[in-house]
Amino acid sequence: MIARCLAGTLLGFTLSALLIALVLHLLPNHGEAFLIPGLILFFPLWTAIMAGAYLFRSGMRAWLVLGGANALAFLALWAGRALGV
Amino acid sequence: MKSATLRTFQTVHTWTGLLAGFALFVAFYAGALTVFHDDIAAWQSPPWRSATDAHVSADALIERLLATHPAAKDDFGIVLPKDTSHAAYAYWMEGGEERFATASQMEAPTAEGSENELADFVYALHDSLGLPVIGLYLMGIVSVIYGLALLTGILIHLPQLFGDFFAMRVGRNLKRLWQDAHNAIGVLSLPFHVIFAVTGALFCLFTITLAALNTVAFDGKLFDAFAKATATTPTVVASGTPARMLSADELITRARAQALTAGVTSFDPDYMHFAHYGDHNAVAEVRGLSRHTLGTYGTVAMSARDGSVLATYVGDRYSFNGISYAALFGLHFGSFGGRAVQWLYFILGLAGAFLFYSGNLLYIESRRRRRHADQPMRTQVMARATIGVCIGSCLAISGAFAATWIAVRVGVEAGTPQRVACYGLFLAACAYACARPVARATVELLWATALLTILVAVVDLIGNAADITRAASPLGWSVVGVDLTGIALGLVFIAFARATKRRARRGDANSVWAWQPARG
Repeated sequence: MIARCLAGTLLGFTLSALLIALVLHLLPNHGEAFLIPGLILFFPLWTAIMAGAYLFRSGMRAWLVLGGANALAFLALWAGRALGV
Repeated sequence: MKSATLRTFQTVHTWTGLLAGFALFVAFYAGALTVFHDDIAAWQSPPWRSATDAHVSADALIERLLATHPAAKDDFGIVLPKDTSHAAYAYWMEGGEERFATASQMEAPTAEGSENELADFVYALHDSLGLPVIGLYLMGIVSVIYGLALLTGILIHLPQLFGDFFAMRVGRNLKRLWQDAHNAIGVLSLPFHVIFAVTGALFCLFTITLAALNTVAFDGKLFDAFAKATATTPTVVASGTPARMLSADELITRARAQALTAGVTSFDPDYMHFAHYGDHNAVAEVRGLSRHTLGTYGTVAMSARDGSVLATYVGDRYSFNGISYAALFGLHFGSFGGRAVQWLYFILGLAGAFLFYSGNLLYIESRRRRRHADQPMRTQVMARATIGVCIGSCLAISGAFAATWIAVRVGVEAGTPQRVACYGLFLAACAYACARPVARATVELLWATALLTILVAVVDLIGNAADITRAASPLGWSVVGVDLTGIALGLVFIAFARATKRRARRGDANSVWAWQPARG
């Protein structure tokens, strides 16, 4: 329970930050016109991931899956910036 | 959903509720009162007993400010009084620190906006429990936990949501009744709670979250992007050529005229911001409240020299970013409508406080030993903490009203008496709840709260009766409104006290709420 709670709280924070940054990056003008709505969505998204983390069968799986999702989101964001998409 | 998952969410809901419930009770009770912030301000300083400096005009204040603190001219704000019996005050930065002063305080500015205002103290209790710096972060974390409790609460409740949503099973099974009440209030006011969980977390944790997101995901570019998305003052450089400035009244008139072309029906200025005052390129920005729009606080930026409009962020001139940002405040404070919306927010706020109180009662009730008079230690501790903190904070806030009432009439600054009365009564109530048998402490604290609340209201009403009838004005009615609401709240506390006593006498004896539980 504690492991899943920590995974959701810590990795959920970075994952929602990365996902919002990624979506904004892909929008026209890098989402300049949608920055505030994007930031408002940060807390609901983080909360949803925190609650969702309890659906994993074990703490280990929660850390692995959320960690992997973080890595993917980070790579996509980094690649998007590097390639200028 | 699998039953194992439901049980997990149930555990998360219980623990998040317990962690955040106490602080949320205070936030909701004080928040419900804060809806009537301006009326409480009028209660403290009605038109027939104006605050110091209430007669000083904004222009005279600016003149005093620049005479004593000439360096402030590059960037300062004027907080306009909410009514004719309050004083305008100036706000500026000096050596990286915030400074506030009304006209007569210029020689010795304060670090707080209005430290003697009861309405602002109640607001501080709402947003930070009145604790400086740490309180705001604490309430931010509480808001995040509240969001999680809300989401898990809905998920648990979802399977039976449509079956027994409106069922109120009034009967012998008290736990069922409390559960039904808790669920009905939680679901009915859900949109309202979602608003508070999201905006509360944003308001309290804003700077820290922005800094974190900036590093984690935005490559260090978030601060600039945010400033650009929410900017209302056009950046200008001082020309070095002095110029005559328009008067504050003239600027306000022009701002209102401009705002009304943007599709809003009202624009009541509450704040002015000046950059490079006295310079040819000086900018004045007027912020005003518009009702019946989600962009409640809009701004018009003008040249302070000739009043030509530089930028308008009101009504239909908002960008999508601007209206989203403005709507956060409108939705949180319920300032988008008139009195009806204020009363709705007040009642939903009190219902929210009840939601957290009933959550604690459910915790106790579901761990009750049904066949023994002595109850487990943890439910006893929970019962004492619940009544100490919850009823204690209601008593404490009424105490702050009483202290303000006395301080104003004795003629001393109300800031310190408010805080001493509030925190003193709160700690006393907690100590009392620990020392007395639980049921007796509950009834007695409820009676104390009821009597203090009604006493202050009745004494104030009688003391002001002559002035209210002589000078009938909207502000006078605000005073009457605050007093009558106080009396109504007092009657509700009496009803609670009587119900608790009835339950203690006649209800199931195997409970912490029975009159003489065996001491555990």
